[in-house]
Amino acid sequence: MKEQKDEELIALAKDGNAKAFEDLVNNHYDTMYRMAFKWCRDQKDAEDITQEACIKLARGIQSFKGDSAFSSWLYRLVINAGKDWFKKNNRHVASELPEMPSKEATNDEVLYAKQVLDAVHQLPGGEKDALLLVHSEGLSHKEAAQVLQCKESTISWRIHEARKKLSAQFERNNRYG
Amino acid sequence: MDDDKIQKILNEIDVPDINENAKKHAVNLAVYEFQEYQKKSEKKSQGLSSIARLMDIINPKDRSNAMEQQTRKRLMYGSLATAMALVLVVGVTSQMTLNQATLDKESTGNDFADIAANISEPAQISQVNRAEPAMEELVIAQAPMEDQVSGQAASKPKPKKSFMAESDKATVLVKREKAAAPPAMMLAAPAEKELSVAHVDDYIDTSYKDEGRDQFEDFKINPIKLVTEEPVSTFSVDVDTASYSFVRNQLNSGVLPDKDAVRIEEIVNYFDYNYPLPESREQPFKPTVTVLNSPWNEGKKLMHVGIKGFDLQGERPKTNLVFLLDVSGSMNAPDKLPLLVNSLKMLVDNLNEEDKIAIVVYAGAAGTVLEPTSATNKSEIFAALDKLEAGGSTAGAEGINLAYQLAEENFDEDAVNRVILATDGDFNVGITDREELKEYVEEKRKSGIFLSVFGFGQGNYNDHLMQTLAQNGNGVAAYIDTLNEARKVLVDEATSSLFPIAKDVKIQVEFNPNAVSEYRLVGYETRALNREDFNNDKVDAGDIGAGHTVTAIYEFTTVGSNAQSVDALRYGEAQKEIAVTENDFDGEYAFLKIRYKKPDESKSRLITTPVTKSNEFGSITTLLTAHDKPPMLPIEDIAFSISAASFAQLLKDDKYINDMNYDDVISVANKAKGQDPFGYRSEFIQLVRLAKSINR
Repeated sequence: MKEQKDEELIALAKDGNAKAFEDLVNNHYDTMYRMAFKWCRDQKDAEDITQEACIKLARGIQSFKGDSAFSSWLYRLVINAGKDWFKKNNRHVASELPEMPSKEATNDEVLYAKQVLDAVHQLPGGEKDALLLVHSEGLSHKEAAQVLQCKESTISWRIHEARKKLSAQFERNNRYG
Repeated sequence: MDDDKIQKILNEIDVPDINENAKKHAVNLAVYEFQEYQKKSEKKSQGLSSIARLMDIINPKDRSNAMEQQTRKRLMYGSLATAMALVLVVGVTSQMTLNQATLDKESTGNDFADIAANISEPAQISQVNRAEPAMEELVIAQAPMEDQVSGQAASKPKPKKSFMAESDKATVLVKREKAAAPPAMMLAAPAEKELSVAHVDDYIDTSYKDEGRDQFEDFKINPIKLVTEEPVSTFSVDVDTASYSFVRNQLNSGVLPDKDAVRIEEIVNYFDYNYPLPESREQPFKPTVTVLNSPWNEGKKLMHVGIKGFDLQGERPKTNLVFLLDVSGSMNAPDKLPLLVNSLKMLVDNLNEEDKIAIVVYAGAAGTVLEPTSATNKSEIFAALDKLEAGGSTAGAEGINLAYQLAEENFDEDAVNRVILATDGDFNVGITDREELKEYVEEKRKSGIFLSVFGFGQGNYNDHLMQTLAQNGNGVAAYIDTLNEARKVLVDEATSSLFPIAKDVKIQVEFNPNAVSEYRLVGYETRALNREDFNNDKVDAGDIGAGHTVTAIYEFTTVGSNAQSVDALRYGEAQKEIAVTENDFDGEYAFLKIRYKKPDESKSRLITTPVTKSNEFGSITTLLTAHDKPPMLPIEDIAFSISAASFAQLLKDDKYINDMNYDDVISVANKAKGQDPFGYRSEFIQLVRLAKSINR
């Protein structure tokens, strides 16, 4: 039912209805923000990226055709906005990893998770994006392929690569730890 | 390091809570950008989004993404796309000149980084549409610009003004809104978060929205009946069209409609068919019966009954109309109140000095907005309509009493007295109990004031109650989703929607058990009547307005055909001796009876006609292409109504349809399109295509 609501809002927004567009942004801001945060791991950056994505949405809504899910389309906007944002701020995503928000990393599991996340963010962009979409946002390989505009097999391959790298890294780490 | 572990860790990323201020800020900024973008694209009729709009017009025709389809589309639209790409470049260039001055002034070293990052923007928007071949052409058209600009950006990290002037082609698209914005908004983007708060008020939404609460009566498709067990089928006519408009709206927004929203007879009756008219005005309509081979199941037959009421043509009676309008907060959407106001203006334009109009509103505000006014006094009526505003809470109102009271005060025996209720589903008209409301409407109907109901919008749409009320009020229920639909319902069909020529129209068909073994009535599930109701004039039924058409279709199996759906009884046959001798009604399939009352009478009249082999015309597809079509038979209209019935059944429940799919529907409808002056039939074909692609 929510999807249907979206369809309506999108149609209205395409007709120039600002109210419908506003509702649409309001409804989806949270999802976009969560994705942005997972992608960059910094609250301020995530807010900026989401804001950019919202603006992109304002300009691009006319070109949304409904041939992929609206949410997939939003993910793409977020990821593109994120890339633009980091380009603009002259830094590479992985090169300047912000600290995780200070949750007390008391037990090993949390620490381990943090290390894995760090590693995920060190992965090449495409692999990271694919991994986040599939394993964190729960998209199918096909949906992720739509978001990242590549073949489904590319997603599968990237995830396979990412997993291989992570495994290699953490099996080594485990031996030490 | 297995899948599950990665998944678990990634799943549990701790996302800090949303900063509501940042959210509000982003939303406002986006809305602002949205509005500016809209303005720009409206002003420049050749701007980017007008192309996008053009694409919209092209694309719904075929949303399939299959590769071969793409190729075909590319061939079809290739030249068009090239033309558009050209337009785009022109558009960009003109914007560039316009904004260059502002940009020059504005540009600083910092901004350049900003701009450079934004340069890829248009290309990204285009990429989004990669599935659309025509847009691919656009991407190609833009690519050189992008390359050029980023290439220079890389070689000149510190920009100069002269450089800006040369290389901001793509940038213009992105930056122009900011450039044109009032200073406070100008560079509000990432850095200054508090600036746009002033705009918040403009966008705050005070209305509420109900999600997906459209209500439909739950009903199942009519089953196959055995003539030996139930030889008589009785139902009330239905000339409503709400179901078709609602289904269209759903399909156009990319979803298949709720099965309960599909009422087959309303989809069939949406279209106007040129069935033959009666010879004399004494009889308001006459049935045209055709027996055809069923396109749905081999070996079965269709009995197609077409009825067209005579047209008033210039002798339209006076009207005394009271509009009862819902102005609750939920009506505050472009497809609701504004559409309603425009629809009513169109109607008023088509009335004349003898016609009276009054307006009462309920919910949100209550009371008489316009005392009964002659339709010639347009300025006063339009002014009252323009003042209507949706908003506020749903204040209980005596709306319905007031409306009927006004109608009664101006009651004119020679006129059509009617209350027209327009709502998106809020029936808080002053009587909260539904049964009571029904009875009230029924009571008033007896006093000569009828009720029609026009539905608007989605989300809260109460189809079931709308239908019930209109049926009890001797009126039509129509769903208005576009201005075009409003024109159809209120202007083109104003005479039929408003001026009944026959009321309580009931149809009864008795099948001859010697000739027919099984039958199935297509549609009219919600209009079924008991066999004994047919002759009972106290039992209410549907009305037929001037020029209305009603189509009823039965699918039946002849005795001895090998297309029987139900097996013959092994033990029962002997007892089922049929009383009539075969000779009496040899060659008769069925006997059709229609009862109706004239609008001002309370005793019904009867029309009867036997359905015999002489009504039989073979296969509809053969007929459509035949050179010598039977005279006096509107083959195309009949074929089109059958394709509409097929489509409706495919959408609702296709269990009785074996030999027809969406493609077959399209093929028949295409051949049966006829003149189609308003394009309704072409639109239908588009809808079938849409349903096909969604259904996949």
